[in-house]
Amino acid sequence: MAFTPKKQAFNAKINAVTLGTGDKSIVIGGENVLPFYTFDAPIANKPRIAVEISDKGLEGCVSDGIKAFYAGCESVVDMAVKAQSMEGASAICLHFESADPNGENKSVEDCVALAKAVADAVEMPILVMGCKNIEKDAQIFNAVSDALQGKNILVLSAREENYKNVGASAGLAYNQKVGAESAVDINLAKQLNVLLSQLGVPDASVCMNVGSSAAGYGFEYLSSTLDRVKAAALAQSDKQLQMPIVTPVSPETWGVKESMSPEEESPEWGSLDERGIEMEVCTASACLVGGSNLVIMRHPAAVATISKFIDSLM
Amino acid sequence: MAKFITIGERISVTAPAIRRAFEERDPEPILTRCEQQLKAGANYIDVNIGPAESDGEERMQWAVKLLQERFDNVPLALDTSNMKAIEAGIQVYNREKGKPIVNSADAGDRFNRIELAANNDAIVIALCSANGIASDNDERMAHCQRMLEEGLMHGMEAEDLWFDPLFLVVKGMQDKQMEVLEAIKMFTDMGLNSTGGLSNNSNGMPKHIRPIFDSCMLAMAMMQGLTSAIVNPNDQRLMETIKTCDIIKNNNLYADSYLEI
Amino acid sequence: MALKGLDIFKLTPKKNCKECGSPTCMAFAMKVAQGSVSIDKCPHMSAEALATLSESTAPLMKTITVGAGANEHKLGGETVLFRHEKTLVNRNVFAVTLCSCMDDAEIDQKIADIKKVDYERIGEREYVEFLFLNYAGNGADKYVALVNKAMAADRALVLNCADAEVAKAALEVCKAGKPILNGANKDNLDAMNAVATAAGVTLGVTGADISEIYDNIKALEGKGNKNLIVDCTGKDAKETFANAVLVRRGNLKDQDRTLGYPSIVNLAKIAEGDVHMQTALAAAFTLRYGSVIVMESMSYAEALALYGLRQNIFTDPQKPMKVEPGIYALNGADENSVCSLTVDFALTYFLVSGEYERSKCPVNLLITDASGMSVLTAWAAGKFSAGTIKKFFDEADIENKIKSRTLIIPGKVAVMKGEIEAKLPGWNVVVGPMEAVQLVKFIKDFNA
Repeated sequence: MAFTPKKQAFNAKINAVTLGTGDKSIVIGGENVLPFYTFDAPIANKPRIAVEISDKGLEGCVSDGIKAFYAGCESVVDMAVKAQSMEGASAICLHFESADPNGENKSVEDCVALAKAVADAVEMPILVMGCKNIEKDAQIFNAVSDALQGKNILVLSAREENYKNVGASAGLAYNQKVGAESAVDINLAKQLNVLLSQLGVPDASVCMNVGSSAAGYGFEYLSSTLDRVKAAALAQSDKQLQMPIVTPVSPETWGVKESMSPEEESPEWGSLDERGIEMEVCTASACLVGGSNLVIMRHPAAVATISKFIDSLM
Repeated sequence: MAKFITIGERISVTAPAIRRAFEERDPEPILTRCEQQLKAGANYIDVNIGPAESDGEERMQWAVKLLQERFDNVPLALDTSNMKAIEAGIQVYNREKGKPIVNSADAGDRFNRIELAANNDAIVIALCSANGIASDNDERMAHCQRMLEEGLMHGMEAEDLWFDPLFLVVKGMQDKQMEVLEAIKMFTDMGLNSTGGLSNNSNGMPKHIRPIFDSCMLAMAMMQGLTSAIVNPNDQRLMETIKTCDIIKNNNLYADSYLEI
Repeated sequence: MALKGLDIFKLTPKKNCKECGSPTCMAFAMKVAQGSVSIDKCPHMSAEALATLSESTAPLMKTITVGAGANEHKLGGETVLFRHEKTLVNRNVFAVTLCSCMDDAEIDQKIADIKKVDYERIGEREYVEFLFLNYAGNGADKYVALVNKAMAADRALVLNCADAEVAKAALEVCKAGKPILNGANKDNLDAMNAVATAAGVTLGVTGADISEIYDNIKALEGKGNKNLIVDCTGKDAKETFANAVLVRRGNLKDQDRTLGYPSIVNLAKIAEGDVHMQTALAAAFTLRYGSVIVMESMSYAEALALYGLRQNIFTDPQKPMKVEPGIYALNGADENSVCSLTVDFALTYFLVSGEYERSKCPVNLLITDASGMSVLTAWAAGKFSAGTIKKFFDEADIENKIKSRTLIIPGKVAVMKGEIEAKLPGWNVVVGPMEAVQLVKFIKDFNA
């Protein structure tokens, strides 16, 4: 008696969202099956990797592998150009860490100037990540979206407190893509999408960041949120959760002690670089299997591995 | 669990404007009512063309094409006692958004509608009565079982038979209401889908009372597992009740704006 | 999993003979489903139908116990596909490969490396639970020698050996440890089954594709062997992932009991020589249905990431992870270092201790018993109050162990400042920031 597995392709599908323009533009989403369930139906667009570049350059970077990769780069723009050559990279994520008013408080004008310089120098799609300060982020997203009109960038992220501002500028006035951020709260994730859609932002301009965490650090909340979002989007055909998911992996994984603790402090743990790579690889893989359509990463070895991982399951 | 399915009842020859529109083939009143119902959240639209003994086939095809072409292949329930008209309607029906519903079969004179649905890969509403209202749930379930067996015998999936316990009017049959709700629970326990003409229960009541009864009855019926109903989607209280019950039953994920979507 | 009336109806003869006392088979099926009539009232039920019905009360997925003594592990027994649906029951285990092709020194070195990674994380021991012993076809003597060395390593074993004669010889020496014998396939099914059954060990079964795997399980079950584990390893990562999902989903969702066994996924085979790729795949199979995940190595770098992930995924959603209450001296803190108080919810602990470690400032992190709730939840539930803090200070003997009298409390419970000062005379209570991410700046400013 031959065994025929039952297929589980859904009538609903994840929205396909285009980032960037021209030859290097990418499409994420579009699938009607669970992540990597190619045995149920072909997956429309493979998940992608964006390389995170801090506006501080390599300042504070603890990884020798990352430093070596960018050797010779004299500016953030140089790094962004170099990052395009990373095996497996599909997009550049510019992270305005130093804009935080409680930190260096880099001005909006400086952020815009950097964003423009990067956008002029790279061909890959650009993602812009803020500093987590709600007011400042809204200002940066507004100004950068304006300055980079026509580049089809993704801003990360609109939150409950500033979605009106970010949605109206990035999403409507400047026709960019908007990431809607909800910290592992699935009801809020849905609500933000509803609100953005009521503002008039088209569904095909919205991605979700449903939260991020490193493996071992409350990852179960993220994992279950990803599972539940995909179940609602596909099995329940919930249109308000059919946006593709973008997950910042590296900002989390490079902030935990497994990746940061110097070798002299924990000699039995071995190479710091290896620990950082494994943490990034492990977390990114778990996000992708849960349903992230794009992950944001840093280390060239981790990016290469995850790219190979994605291809091997497609 | 799947979300509750609403079948909009407002395109019906019982309304004079619609009756005239069908007779004169005047699209406007029909399209207007369809649009209103879809906007209000109806999933299926019932098309009651009346017995239409002389021109039923042509009339049903006209209505199906009219509505599906205008409203992105909206799924329809074909509602007439004229079997040929139903078959004609299915011939021109586009299934992209859902199978057609045959409204309706029963365990009496309309028993052969089950075979009709089976032959046309349609959903059928199976009214659990033969000639007149079932006297108790033993009789209701006997009808249910007979129709289910008929459907399965003709190769239907059980899920395509939607059993209708027949909602009864409160003013006059108040003592039978719990029995109807119990019948719904029995369908649910068997894993069957169910539906019914909800507003029967509030027939003859003052206009401002009817939405209250319809909503309460619907909520109690959903608790028993009712999976769909033929309703007036323009009744805001009722539609809000359905959306809320769907949240409580975990058929849909909550968001603060859930009533607006 | 109770059967619905309709499922039972499908098993009835559908003759409406009325011999059971019901007017129709459907009416009878409904009564059986409700429990008001016993199935044996029907004289025409086939034996197969009756077996299906009696099976329907047993769990869909079997729990297989392997290993012995301290190395005993339970595998399988899951009831849901996703942890949010209920909870996952038995966490996956990790195995590292050894081979009969290796010389003694290599084997000793690898076992020593494996044993190096053995630590505790939030109340769980994290280590390589299984050694996966590959047979290289170089004779029973070599293999038995490898098994003997592995037995001395105090781990559970998987004998990966498709040669029934060699497996038999190996089991002679190690069967008391209840290893898994992996390697049954279409060609050696009878011989392997006989060897595994005689030794009383779990048999790992595989096939060229999912269909053949299914047939092989069926054949073994037909011989009465239900002590099985399914080797889902295919020719590559894609096929292995498909096999693991299809087996588990076919079992739990589509309710096919033939597939109700835990799984082995051999990453050393499908990503040979690529440590990072094995980590990526191990993470994927931790989420999607690997029970025994086989790796070529398990360094600290791999373990810290993978065991952290596993611990998260296999926590019960109903029961939060807790850390032990007590004093955690961070960044070389001593008795004169400032104290900072928070709850025992593991995530809170990790966030707070992580931020303090980043600040490099010495801090005595005091963790009080708050039933594993977060700060605000615990406060609202009365589990994190001046009274419970006082009790903790007394029980942990804080005042004698620490000389500092400065106590930082979470910003979210600033309202408790006065009450805590009243309960802990002599202490200077300082309100900290609302969020953990603000701690680095806070503690640096505080010390300045």
